[in-house]
Amino acid sequence: MTQRGSGLSERALARVFVAPSLLLMALVALFPVLYAVGLSLFEYSRRRRESFAGLSNYTEALGDDRFWSALWFTLVFTVTSVAAEFVIGLGFALLMNQAFRGRGLTRAAILIPWVIPTVIAAQMWFFMFNVTPGFINSVFGLGDFSWLGQPGWATFAIVFADVWKTAPFVALLLLAGLQTIPSELTESALVDGAGRWQRLWYVTLPLLRPAILVALLFRTVDALRVYDLVAVMTGGAFDTESLSVLVQQYVVRTPDPGYGSALSTLTFILILGIGLVFVRLLGRDLAIGRGETR
Amino acid sequence: MRMPTRLLVAGGTFALIMAACTPSGDDGDGGGDGASGGGGELVWAIGGAEAQPGGVHQQVAELWSEQNPDNPIRIELLPEAADQQREQQALELQSEGSTFDVLGMDVIWTGEYAENGWLESLEDVRGEIEEVSIPGAFESATWGGELWAAPYNTNAGLLYYRTDLVDTPPTTWDQLCQTAASAGASAGVGGLIGQGAQYEGFVVNWLEYYWSAGGELFNDDQSEVLFDTEIAARATQFMADAIADGCYAPGYNTAQEEEARNEFQQGGTVFMRNWPYVYSLIEEDTASPANGNFAIAPLPTFEGEGTISALGGFNNAVSAFSDNADAARDFVVWAATNEEVQTMLATESSVPPTMASVYDDLADDPVMSVLGQILPDAKPRPPAPSWNEISVELQRALFPAVNGQADVEEAVEQVRTVLEDAIG
Repeated sequence: MTQRGSGLSERALARVFVAPSLLLMALVALFPVLYAVGLSLFEYSRRRRESFAGLSNYTEALGDDRFWSALWFTLVFTVTSVAAEFVIGLGFALLMNQAFRGRGLTRAAILIPWVIPTVIAAQMWFFMFNVTPGFINSVFGLGDFSWLGQPGWATFAIVFADVWKTAPFVALLLLAGLQTIPSELTESALVDGAGRWQRLWYVTLPLLRPAILVALLFRTVDALRVYDLVAVMTGGAFDTESLSVLVQQYVVRTPDPGYGSALSTLTFILILGIGLVFVRLLGRDLAIGRGETR
Repeated sequence: MRMPTRLLVAGGTFALIMAACTPSGDDGDGGGDGASGGGGELVWAIGGAEAQPGGVHQQVAELWSEQNPDNPIRIELLPEAADQQREQQALELQSEGSTFDVLGMDVIWTGEYAENGWLESLEDVRGEIEEVSIPGAFESATWGGELWAAPYNTNAGLLYYRTDLVDTPPTTWDQLCQTAASAGASAGVGGLIGQGAQYEGFVVNWLEYYWSAGGELFNDDQSEVLFDTEIAARATQFMADAIADGCYAPGYNTAQEEEARNEFQQGGTVFMRNWPYVYSLIEEDTASPANGNFAIAPLPTFEGEGTISALGGFNNAVSAFSDNADAARDFVVWAATNEEVQTMLATESSVPPTMASVYDDLADDPVMSVLGQILPDAKPRPPAPSWNEISVELQRALFPAVNGQADVEEAVEQVRTVLEDAIG
């Protein structure tokens, strides 16, 4: 493009055009975060602000067993659910990528769980797992096995519901990635005598890496914030209290805006940190990808 | 051609938004302006099924409006869940808003609202309200020895039992467990179901055991902790044993009101602890095995003497920021002391009234007659400003102990600490 008479370079003009959206994003995304950080530095007695507290809300949170057990549950939930979702999602994606009769129908069927709102899915799985009405127990003849009424199995039930709900989402992202892989590559591997697993391991997966990273990033960040499944299915009983459930208690149920904000800031830092690791991996990946094509 | 259409659409949308926003604002202000002349519309912020069109609270509002055309009352419908009702009222009152004149207030919010300066004192009408109200309901409307609200409706836990499996309802908890074991085993159904999930209902259920063993949490004005760790350990141990030995039906520790009702209604248990609302639902469900085969009784105690129940219900308070406080005060007193209104609660719906004399008149009604026996001894949860915090901590201490995951002695010590911190 040629330089305009106005004297603004193309780059500067771009900045001018981008500025309003940046401002808007700062207003809706950055402001609440900073405001919460501000709140977390004060001591409250219920809703009333008492005094400046420095970092005491943070030290109190970090010294509380409850925070650590919520963090532990959140991490266990994230690792197990994201791992299972990835494996199942990849299977679905590979299946949906094949050409076969009824492919459209299969795709639609696989995606149904994902379009159901999470609270509704959670309520549904509560009914499935809970002793009353106990659909799972009656289908498998398990009698009165209390899935949600004991530690361990309660965590399992929540992870299960999450995998059921979001594996299709992972599948969708991976399918998009699969469709960008030119079929010539797998075909030539086939000509070279590569077996099914070799083709998957040496051709498909490496080329799918960016899509995998995006899927894992989305799911991990989402799983770290888990609230609705826990709130509906167990209410945090039997060691299933997640960080977000804990935050909700101090922000809404028994309001202590200072302590609640400190907890939500800690959660935010955790999620941001893990998100940044992914973004960095992804950035390197994309850079390598660009370097190769040029 | 294109631009004007777009402008029109935009303008139309804007107008719609404005129209949607203004009326509520107008109503609030309108009520305020009218107040200086002694008239004006009152706004009653109350939630739940009965506040919806056709519900009994609406009928009460209509009755008042007919009789008081100068100060008609309108219900501002709050959400279904009590926690959310409290949030909505708190948001308005925190900002000293005058939109609500009368607050439909759960019995456990009295202390919090009074301490925050959100309520008008009703001390000057104390006499006429105290005279006609059930003591427990009256107590729940007081805080710091002062009357802050007028009782409106109450609620108490009942023991539902299957008349085809049990001849006479048990009077002690041990009896209940024995009957549950024998009757349950022969019929192949569970024992007792109640509210055993980790939430407010669990605390209510636990308190009924604790109180029925003779325990107390605080003294009357909540200046002193009367918590007895021995009694608390006995109550907690009883619940832990009942889960372990199957006296409680499977699923007890994940059940709230509705799960308990479903289990009992489907014929899955011999006994159920639940509120009065369940009665008519099972009576209407002709397909239920419990239909025609159940009755209600007061909850057992440990010693078999008397009965105890946790008290629920709603009181009406006058907002401290109301522009029409005198009319609002007349309304809350009327709703608490008018026989027609209080009878309506029971007959039009099964909302238990707070006026003692109504129970004598309705002695033929199965639910009201049992409630009439229970309510004089029913106890409110302490209406302390920090009840929500106390309740959450009680759940955290006692729920694991009841489920065999924590030591009972340590749990009750923890409860003592929580209660002492709450008033310290």
